[in-house]
Amino acid sequence: MLTRRELGLAAGAAAVLPLGRPALAQGAGGSIVMAQQAQPPTLDAQVTSAQASRNITLHVFETLFARDEAGNPVPDLAEGVDISPDGLTYRFALRDARFHNGKRMTSADVKASLQRYGRVGASAFIMQPVEAIDTPDAKTVVVRLKNPSPGFIAGISSPRAPCAIIPEEEAGKEANRIEIIGTGPYRFVEYRPDSHVRLTRFADYVQNTKYQGMDGFAGRKVANVQDITIRFVPEAGARTAGLQTGEMHILEAIAVPAAQRLRNDRNLVMHEMMPWSFQTLMLNHAMEPMNNPVFRRALQAALDLEEIMAISTDGLYRMLHGWQHPGTTYFAGDVGKPLYNVNNKERARALLRESGYRNEEIIMLGDSSFSNHQATIVTAAEQLKSIGLNVRTVITDWPTAFSQRTQRTGWHMWALMLGIEPYEGPYGVVGFFSGNAPVQHVRDDVIEDCQRRLNTSLAEADRKKAVSDFQARMYDQAIAIKCGDVGIVQATRAQVRDYKPYRIPRMWGVTLA
Amino acid sequence: MLRYAAGRLVSALPVLLIVSLLSFGIVWIVPGDVAVEMAGPTATAEELARLRERLGLTKPWHEQLIGWYGALLQGDLGESILLRQGVGAAIVERLPVTLSLTFTALLIAFVCGTALGVLAAVRAGKAADRAAMGTALIGFSLPDFWLGLVFVYLFAVVLGWLPTGGYVPFTQDPLGWAQAMILPAGTLALSQMGLFARMTRAAMLEVLRQDYVRTARAKGMPGWIVVGKHALRNALIPVVTVAGIACGVLLGGAVVIESVFSLPGVGRLIVGAIQRRDYPVIQGGLLLTATIFVLVNLAVDLLYAALDPRIRHGRR
Repeated sequence: MLTRRELGLAAGAAAVLPLGRPALAQGAGGSIVMAQQAQPPTLDAQVTSAQASRNITLHVFETLFARDEAGNPVPDLAEGVDISPDGLTYRFALRDARFHNGKRMTSADVKASLQRYGRVGASAFIMQPVEAIDTPDAKTVVVRLKNPSPGFIAGISSPRAPCAIIPEEEAGKEANRIEIIGTGPYRFVEYRPDSHVRLTRFADYVQNTKYQGMDGFAGRKVANVQDITIRFVPEAGARTAGLQTGEMHILEAIAVPAAQRLRNDRNLVMHEMMPWSFQTLMLNHAMEPMNNPVFRRALQAALDLEEIMAISTDGLYRMLHGWQHPGTTYFAGDVGKPLYNVNNKERARALLRESGYRNEEIIMLGDSSFSNHQATIVTAAEQLKSIGLNVRTVITDWPTAFSQRTQRTGWHMWALMLGIEPYEGPYGVVGFFSGNAPVQHVRDDVIEDCQRRLNTSLAEADRKKAVSDFQARMYDQAIAIKCGDVGIVQATRAQVRDYKPYRIPRMWGVTLA
Repeated sequence: MLRYAAGRLVSALPVLLIVSLLSFGIVWIVPGDVAVEMAGPTATAEELARLRERLGLTKPWHEQLIGWYGALLQGDLGESILLRQGVGAAIVERLPVTLSLTFTALLIAFVCGTALGVLAAVRAGKAADRAAMGTALIGFSLPDFWLGLVFVYLFAVVLGWLPTGGYVPFTQDPLGWAQAMILPAGTLALSQMGLFARMTRAAMLEVLRQDYVRTARAKGMPGWIVVGKHALRNALIPVVTVAGIACGVLLGGAVVIESVFSLPGVGRLIVGAIQRRDYPVIQGGLLLTATIFVLVNLAVDLLYAALDPRIRHGRR
């Protein structure tokens, strides 16, 4: 749980962040074109965890708390929060903010937005502990919880499916039915499906003066560029060509080989981000022989994870065992490391014999929509064949693969990149393997206990222990296999100044030369 | 002629009924749904279940089928789940893009392909014939998406003459429209150009051997009039038939080209809907595409009849 002192420190640290070039709001202008592969399934920020939506909506909407540059929760629309010693009452003081329709933000808007999130939010579970929301005055919101929930601030500050604050009038509407009105530095202009979204600078944006510079999704957001067009360009080659010709200024991601080829182009700047996500292999414990931990350990011992990472990421990877990113609060050190990337075929064969494997067919599920999912499955399949496994690879499109993995039958192993979850901390990662519908389809008592301790312990040390125990269990029982950390490259034209790569291409703070 | 056209229209109705049934059935058979797309790649099973309930995806299939046909009889193709827009409106909005692309490509393919075919036939067995047919074969063999990317690199990145993609409406900026259309339409046209060239060459060789052509030459008529007026008109009859087939192929090819050149057309709408399982758009889009295909074939048949009097008078 974040204490008042921790939150104060976070805000204080943000206040002394290096400024870089002075932010220019007056007299600035120009238009930036950013290109991304996919189009957003919706611009209703609360209801989706799709990256394609997040890239856009986080310029339009803001949250009470947001994540700083290091991924820690810091105040955004809130001035701060007072948390009662029993961890049951959260008192948020609100800063001045104005919606794009001209209305000032009040506690009524915040209350209605939080309540809507509990109904339609993609991560609505974060509102489950909430018993009541009070609004003693226009600038104060008091959230009372049924039981202590130390992950509450982490939840409402997560960009995964942002708990966006919207006008009270919109909050009664169903998912995907709202007008796109937020408090962010850019306001929505138009959405042309299959083509683009257009945003424009919100002239009456109220900057967060507690900060001196931008800081993750929070901080002082200064919109220098007048207009932003986010184009949807499905073909990677066409996106790269658009960047080279200057039709596009920023690419959400550029293919690694293209980035290497263009590294010396003086008109372009490549921004490498490591880590961006985990590459994982999820295992279905509901299917035989995957229900046998000895069999799963055989897989764990057989795989050459470095080869998988090298092939699936075009070389932009890092071998790391942790189920949290190093340097973050909950990184569990060397726990589980001896069982990571063992790559010992003899040991694997011995474990296979011990498991009593009788040549059952192992279905390895991947999708062609994400190239590294497919490459991971194909490479892993070849490695497992080499120790004598009867493997069948099934490559479908993304919705089919995803739909299949929600079933208890029809798959044994499934490739998935986990990006936003490890970024947002342990709650999403541990939650993926626990609760009513864990990804492995069979609840593991130890992991359930880890999740309970993580979600209820008021002391940070206890929560850290829970995450450490989770990681130990992941390796000991081979619940799933983490292959390694994946990086990405964002790309900009050289005329885009002060660009800092982050989870989304941020347009505030940048200028166009 | 009107009776003929009306008869063809009536015979198209069962085709469209079958298409509508198939498109509805396919949507129900294919795994996955729009909730997967909306919730995002790492959504949990619980999150998905809740979203499915809210989107009305849990209704039984027969209820949805009745709803689909009920609305269809009133001319309503339904509403896209993701676009917050009527399917009909979404298609109509994108139709100019796809029709621009398809018909510009058809025009380029027809004109250039026919010219190449005539040249090859007139110079049969000579270097010009081999060059023309070689060009046609290359155009016919190269994959659209690869050729598109090569053209983008050459004409946009290296030479800087044309944009890499995007669409400009003709009504807004005719020159911008032309610039945006050249590369995608040219790419799309190349494959069908080869088909037209080969068909025209074969038909021309056949016609050039006919007595009336020999007679025209014997009368001292200039060669270009013999070829252009007498031979080509007759040689075009089978070529026009091919145009109908080519139009269908180009409509299909437009799906790939629209993605390569980021054109917001009907093809990309339908492919996007399939990838994201936006059922109403898939159903409405397939039905509309089938309707266009049927109408184009009808138009070709009518044109065929106009070119060949034996057909319109029922003497085949």
